[in-house]
Amino acid sequence: MRLAGAELVESREILPGQWIQAYHAPGLARGSRAGQFVHARPGDFSGLILRRPFSLNTADPATGIVTIHFRVIGRGTGWFTRLRPGDEIDLLGPLGRPFEVDPRSQHLLLVAGGLGMAGVRMLADEAIRDGRRVTLLFGAASAREVYPSSLLPDEIEYVVATDDGSLGHHGYVTDLVADYESWADQAFACGPLPMLAALARLAAGRRERLGVAKLGRKRGARKAAPVGSPAARRKAFLQVSMEQNMGCAVGACLGCVVMSTSGVPQRVCREGPVFATEEIAWDGAWS
Amino acid sequence: MDLSVDLGRGLVLPNPILVASGTFGYGIEYGDVVDVDRLGGICCKGTTLKARIGNPTPRVTETPGGMLNSIGLQNPGVDAVIEKYAGTWATWKSPVIVNVAGESVEDYVEVARRLDGVPGVAGIELNISCPNVGAGGLQFAIDAGAAGEVTGAVRRATDLPLLVKLSPNVSDIRPIARAIADAGADALTAINTLSGIALAPGRERPLLGNIYGGLSGPAVKPVALRVVYEAAQAVKIPVVAIGGVTELADVLDFLAVGAVAVQVGTAIFADPTLPERLVDELTEECGRRGLTAYRELIGTALPKKAGRPSSKGVEYRP
Repeated sequence: MRLAGAELVESREILPGQWIQAYHAPGLARGSRAGQFVHARPGDFSGLILRRPFSLNTADPATGIVTIHFRVIGRGTGWFTRLRPGDEIDLLGPLGRPFEVDPRSQHLLLVAGGLGMAGVRMLADEAIRDGRRVTLLFGAASAREVYPSSLLPDEIEYVVATDDGSLGHHGYVTDLVADYESWADQAFACGPLPMLAALARLAAGRRERLGVAKLGRKRGARKAAPVGSPAARRKAFLQVSMEQNMGCAVGACLGCVVMSTSGVPQRVCREGPVFATEEIAWDGAWS
Repeated sequence: MDLSVDLGRGLVLPNPILVASGTFGYGIEYGDVVDVDRLGGICCKGTTLKARIGNPTPRVTETPGGMLNSIGLQNPGVDAVIEKYAGTWATWKSPVIVNVAGESVEDYVEVARRLDGVPGVAGIELNISCPNVGAGGLQFAIDAGAAGEVTGAVRRATDLPLLVKLSPNVSDIRPIARAIADAGADALTAINTLSGIALAPGRERPLLGNIYGGLSGPAVKPVALRVVYEAAQAVKIPVVAIGGVTELADVLDFLAVGAVAVQVGTAIFADPTLPERLVDELTEECGRRGLTAYRELIGTALPKKAGRPSSKGVEYRP
């Protein structure tokens, strides 16, 4: 984690109200992994007093460019769209813990709902670099909100679902998962909470549906990896990137927690944003 | 330039710029981004006797010129805090002041007793003014009798320097400030957050999981200035100001109304290096004015007969 100036290189509206911005930030581009995020400071300190967290959408160590993808939802995100190439902002990052791919996983299933694309997009680049095969399932309300395939690597399979049927599968993106659950070695998801909860239910029943035998150990069960540990995520079939209103983004304010199965709230900014699905209390009192 | 501050009972801060409880965790979270040894002091996250899981989410939201938070005192409990962090604190030059919260007088006393004598713990800031919890939140801060009782009980339980944090959510701060001072507090800190709410998109319900949150940030600065102005005249012990500090001018304002030091809170989220920069800027400012100690900046805006309670207090009574 460090605090660094970043110069806006390119800014464009890729979909109505959705923007991708490229910043020159060599340190971030070199030191970041898929799933991590940055906390960006709006320059207008008179009214906007909090930074805004953005998933790292792509990071290219060769050019020193990182991109963020966001929807304009208020004054803060609106402020960022008015930046012009050459303007400098300050970015705190990289923050949070990344996705962890099991070295043995060859087939990765990525699932994104709407803006959730920003959370998993970079993992596609990393997986292809490492020689893995990637299928990306994407869900949106309608065709006009579907992420352009031209912005994705050619090597991935891209499957779309829309709520109104205007493009691809007519229905939820979670409907598509059944076709891939035997193919996929691991799955990685980001999107609205109901989508993530549905995926968590599917992941929980997967072993039984596929008839995967529980390979017993001779002496007792394997010790569970601690919540938030890289091992806990690496072992999980499904890893999810969680979202929550954020204050400091470094773990100091405890604003952005999610309830865990251990009964202790976990900080999205520090133990997350990526969690193994088994770590999240999906039916807990909190959401 | 002499920036040191004596808050009493041996608690001498290297400079008057502290970081406020709840905005700086346990001091380690910002890592290399902040040099903690340059801070005047660190008030850690509110600490209770037993672990607390805090309030449901959402817990924070931005508001015009400020933010609402409703963390609900999530913390691992005093014993875990000591075990995890005190060893690190003991290696720092900056004093760490542990913010203490409780549901009863006995809770506060027991937490204070466990902190007493722990290397790395330089003082206690009694949080009797958290607006975001049910039992033991605000009720100690809104009544002079209760504020004096809890302060006195903690005073008898520990020799640690004792700061007590005032709530702005009261009709008149002065009798409460006096009761706390009379009960043996070494210093006052003011202010805690102002109780408020925000609405969720669609306006079908309040936004925060706890409904109520505490307002902080530049939006509360005039309220903080007023409370510090009144408290500084009501008591003889030092007053440490908190509330919307984002630049040197804010520090100078709080010193002018009688604060001996300031805590930086919400602004840290946007600008983690602000407290260190304020130390530099305060040093430069004193140099520019030809001062030998920053203390000459304290109380310049108070009435000439400072120390005597204002006779206009009646306008704050309900």
